[in-house]
Amino acid sequence: MASVLADKYCSKSLRGILMDGECGPGHEYNYQPLNNSFTVPPGIDPHHFVSPFMSDSSDCKIKFNHGTTTLAFKFQHGVIVAVDSRATAGSYIASQTVKKVIEINPYLLGTMAGGAADCAYWERQLSFECRIYELRNKERISVAAASKLLANMVSYYKGYGLSMGTMICGWDKKGPGIYYVDTDGNRFTNNIFSVGSGSTYAYGVIDSTYKWSMSIEEARELGKRAIYHATYRDSYSGGVVNLYHVQEDGWTKVSQTDVKSLHYQYEEEKNKEIINNEEL
Amino acid sequence: MECLIGMKFDGFSLIAHDNSAGRSVLVMKQNQDKIFHLGDHLAMVVCGDTGDTVYFGEFIQKNLAYYRIKNGYSLSPSAAVNYTRHEMAKRLRQAPNLVNLIMTGYDESTKQTSLYFMDYLGTLADVPFAAHGYGSYFALSTLDRYHRSNMSKEEAEGLLLKCILEVQKRLVINLPSFSFYFVDENGVSSKRTVKTEPAKVVGESTGEQQSEEMDVFV
Amino acid sequence: MARRYDTKTTIFSPEGRLYQVEYAMEAIGHAGTCLGILAKDGVLLAAERKNTNKLLDDVFLSEKIYRLHDNMACSVAGITSDANVLTNYLRQTAQKYELVYKEAMPCEQLVMQICDLKQQYTQFGGLRPFGVSILFMGWDPHYHYQLYQSDPSGNYGGWKATCVGNNHQAAISMLKQEYKDDIDLKDGLDLAVKVLHKTLDSTKLNSEKVEFATLTRKDGRTVIEVLPSGEVDLLIKKYQDEVEAKKKEKERQKAAESQTKME
Repeated sequence: MASVLADKYCSKSLRGILMDGECGPGHEYNYQPLNNSFTVPPGIDPHHFVSPFMSDSSDCKIKFNHGTTTLAFKFQHGVIVAVDSRATAGSYIASQTVKKVIEINPYLLGTMAGGAADCAYWERQLSFECRIYELRNKERISVAAASKLLANMVSYYKGYGLSMGTMICGWDKKGPGIYYVDTDGNRFTNNIFSVGSGSTYAYGVIDSTYKWSMSIEEARELGKRAIYHATYRDSYSGGVVNLYHVQEDGWTKVSQTDVKSLHYQYEEEKNKEIINNEEL
Repeated sequence: MECLIGMKFDGFSLIAHDNSAGRSVLVMKQNQDKIFHLGDHLAMVVCGDTGDTVYFGEFIQKNLAYYRIKNGYSLSPSAAVNYTRHEMAKRLRQAPNLVNLIMTGYDESTKQTSLYFMDYLGTLADVPFAAHGYGSYFALSTLDRYHRSNMSKEEAEGLLLKCILEVQKRLVINLPSFSFYFVDENGVSSKRTVKTEPAKVVGESTGEQQSEEMDVFV
Repeated sequence: MARRYDTKTTIFSPEGRLYQVEYAMEAIGHAGTCLGILAKDGVLLAAERKNTNKLLDDVFLSEKIYRLHDNMACSVAGITSDANVLTNYLRQTAQKYELVYKEAMPCEQLVMQICDLKQQYTQFGGLRPFGVSILFMGWDPHYHYQLYQSDPSGNYGGWKATCVGNNHQAAISMLKQEYKDDIDLKDGLDLAVKVLHKTLDSTKLNSEKVEFATLTRKDGRTVIEVLPSGEVDLLIKKYQDEVEAKKKEKERQKAAESQTKME
């Protein structure tokens, strides 16, 4: 059923992605949602159906939970993942306690930016695919492959109104890995990524401080600080900083800190520095 | 945003792409590869909608590999580029693909180098040199002025550098890094990269220095 | 026994045979002979014409030799109506390839395509296999001059010289004896006449009953020619003269021998 629907109502023809007529829908390496797992309304081209509700000029625009700051970076001791916890709908703060780090499996983390539901849904789907991979191949999936699976899944629905910008972080045979994947079909790897409305502020802090050879303490502090500064400037980000660290033996959740307490802590440190400088 | 440059000479060709990958106002990385190796003597560089470029590029790459495995020989550069154009034109009317590309190859049987320009509408042209993106507004005239088909590899590299410097100087968008490749009878060369140096403070700024700087832009 | 297993193409007999496919091959065994020879400077096809009624209007240039695209031609043995379907498919396939790649379809790919179609008709329910064997001659930049044969089962192979249709075993064994690796097209034509002469039922060969086509390369282009009847008659006459001369020679020798005996 799912494949019939996709074939008939997909604005992006499935056949385009396959080898010329060689393998039909449902082939193992071509992402196909399992039966009943993701159904699109029949009889409508989803791309055209959804577009009026996505444009800024629309009277009845779908309001996604958008504002976010998430970041991840690699360094010599693994990957640091730090995120805020605020969800907004327009100018309304919907929640201050969102878990924006999605635990895909003990070795993989995903971050949440854009539509909260889209991220949660697709990364859960990804966790399923990764487990299947593990069972089939008797070894863990690489970060590169996992992120490619997600990129293939969401690009299949490109133009359907999905909205997510995520970083897939983990540790595999090649060491620490981060891939940025979004619903435009982008998939990059790099040492540093930050996603969301507060990402520019986070970049401003990380880029000026980051070194590959940081100690674990320094790196964790940097992640926390970058999110804090982003929440300070970006009103769509806030709540608490959730900090994760991925190492060879999987991820650990390091801390969860209210940005208010960070604010007072950093203010105090700043004041001390000023006093110290004056004393010198 | 992005910039591709390609040029053809007697016996070899040169293709280059910038290394930036961005989203809205952000640059997400400055070491992105935008080349697809399509065969021993065939490669293309792509730019456009970032999702589409990868999927279209991989689609072409994999189908050409499939052809090679199925038949025991590769498609000639001209057949490969016409196939690519056909796929592009097919998508234009059903699921448009925002992908622009430059393909180049060395045909072992005819001993010919070829360079093709293609845009997302399926325009295909066999050209001595080509450029895509905003950078093309600058690079094309530089190429018009200095390109000669009998240039050596060193001269070709110099010409490419001329184009890149011009783009970096006049284009408002920041493209600090480019990678380039030679394609000849020995296949596609390994990657080489040109980078502008990161900003640093040099001495005290004086009035004189400033006017010197200004001269450059007169 | 056979009755139970030969009504459908898709069913194996207990001995592991597909009767319908074998019957199709049988049908070809009664069809007009087609012969192909690969020479160093070209390829040739020769085909026997079955419809030689005087009242037939000769609207067709050739009855059994079809040009497929710029670089290929084929000749068919078997049920003509089936063959028409197949040649149409071949031509379309070749043009589709040219549409996508802007160059002529390599020979083997086209042969492979048609054989995939033929194979499907031996497997998928309720269909009768095509009762046609095809000889292909062609040129492509990968393997230059080529000669292929395909049969109703969907098998194909590349040949130096081969024959399908009526009396093909005899023809093939003759070709085996007479074929030389460095044969040129001119000698190939003579050989074709010789083989046809021996294998065709009719005593008197003429241009009404056979047609010849050659494929050569001239100035970087492929030239496919169906020989005009005058030339065919000349070839036949040349062969017959040779035979006649040999016969006379033999008689003369015989006479001479008997003369010496007498003495």
